[in-house]
Amino acid sequence: MARMKFYCDAERCVECNACVTACKNEHDIPWGVNRRRVVTIKDGEQGERSLSVACMHCSDAPCAMVCPVDCFYTTSDGIVLHDKDICIGCGYCFYACPFGAPQFPESAAFSSRGKMDKCTFCAGGPEDDNSSQETTKYGRNRLAEGKLPLCAEMCSTKALLAGDADVLSSIYRKRVINRGASAFNWGVNFNNSKIQG
Amino acid sequence: MLDSFRSSILYDVLKLTSTLLLVFMLTAPATAGPGPPKRPDFPQGVSTTNPGNDLWREVRQRDLPVTGTSQVKGVDSGVLINVEGDRWARFRIDNPVRHAPTLLVAVVLVLLAFYVLRGKVGIEGGLSGRMVFRFTDYERSLHWCLAIVFLFLAITGLILLLGRTLMIPLFGHHLFSLIASASKEGHNLFGPIFLVSLLLMLVSFARRNIYEKGDLTWLLKGGGIVGKGHVSGGFFNMGEKSWYWLVILVGLAISISGLILVFPNFGQGRVIMMVSNVVHVFGAIVLIAVSIGHMYLGSIGTEGSSEGMKSGYVDINWAEAHHDRWAKTCHENDEILSAEEFARLQGNPIDSGDATTGAAND
Repeated sequence: MARMKFYCDAERCVECNACVTACKNEHDIPWGVNRRRVVTIKDGEQGERSLSVACMHCSDAPCAMVCPVDCFYTTSDGIVLHDKDICIGCGYCFYACPFGAPQFPESAAFSSRGKMDKCTFCAGGPEDDNSSQETTKYGRNRLAEGKLPLCAEMCSTKALLAGDADVLSSIYRKRVINRGASAFNWGVNFNNSKIQG
Repeated sequence: MLDSFRSSILYDVLKLTSTLLLVFMLTAPATAGPGPPKRPDFPQGVSTTNPGNDLWREVRQRDLPVTGTSQVKGVDSGVLINVEGDRWARFRIDNPVRHAPTLLVAVVLVLLAFYVLRGKVGIEGGLSGRMVFRFTDYERSLHWCLAIVFLFLAITGLILLLGRTLMIPLFGHHLFSLIASASKEGHNLFGPIFLVSLLLMLVSFARRNIYEKGDLTWLLKGGGIVGKGHVSGGFFNMGEKSWYWLVILVGLAISISGLILVFPNFGQGRVIMMVSNVVHVFGAIVLIAVSIGHMYLGSIGTEGSSEGMKSGYVDINWAEAHHDRWAKTCHENDEILSAEEFARLQGNPIDSGDATTGAAND
């Protein structure tokens, strides 16, 4: 059984924000809610790196642990999803999440939090696959159609990868070997590495 | 004993709560959705190594700024790793969620044991039927407003804190979600009313609750709860003053942290939110635990003490027992009403000569 994961290669990401735009468009996400974002550190300085961040579908997800109504569940593909019929919009998952993935649309007066929205790995929610209910609440279910998440599928530099952890690991391993060092070992690149994977 | 229990406030409160609960339980299932969400048998806790593990570990451990910039504008959107979140989540589960029920049940058991062993703290010579004015209508309304809002906030807050462990097994996910959602909205709505009542409380009662000479003696003698005889006190005794300042100070801490939590639109970060949450939960549990003691002493724990907050008048013997310095000034100012005068004021004049019973019953 697959164990779905995202991986963003900081050596390749060029901060084009296409993943963010693709996600918003694919799932028709309202203003103010961003399931994915690109974070750039040392912007404009030497050693600038960017990472595309969304829900990382943790094996032992802190959001699921802290949720007061227990609305999270893990699919057979290892994707962490939540049930918007159960979510009460308390915001605890946002505090607990290491990656800042949970998002809250403003609902009603005083900007109180609406039901949480986050990356579904393009796998929808607990409703029937690609039913109108599921699409309204969670966006499209690409996984049910045999497709991978759109953000990774359309990444122009193939920095963002999505899929089975083992497959991603082997791709990543080859890249690392080619670079001769880990992705964060600045300055070492394909040209001056000795080994070719 | 049963009769005195029946006439107490606690009995009324219990009756009201149980009726509401019953009505809710009968009507709620009709509004519940379908069964629990589908939860496939994914082997929980079995982890496959994420290829990004090394990368993220380096983001955390290398001497790099973990905060950058992002085109996405939002709270903390430039933060790559929120290090405190997991620690807060574990802290919440290991401390308040695990220990709050034990603490609250322990408080109730201790009071129950005290009631069984010591019984109601009576007044020497019993109630006289002669009354003295203590609280105005406004003061009593304020007290009950704060009390009711506090109880509501305590119950809804405890539902949100403990519901996952205690209520989901009973009600299921969908019904509990409904209860929790209502609790959250109600909690957010009534929270500011608590703050307003609290500030009015501060204005109305602060002067009479300033500590004075003799309060230390009260504390050293354990407030007269242990041992024989009553301990000297002014309009409020040392115990009441301490409860008042606890309510004001902890109440303010809860209110301020609550406002920080309820208005995420001011852009406060997650760390501030987590600290506020911890302050909010701990303050609330302390206040709930002590309030159970206050409710006990104000109802079945002490003879005659609920009168002041019901009619506004208290028995002069009660005043002499618990607030002798205040009672002395009442005597001096000739403020004491006879049973007949009091009954007439309450709108039910006494026909028979049995004045004492007539006045003692509310």
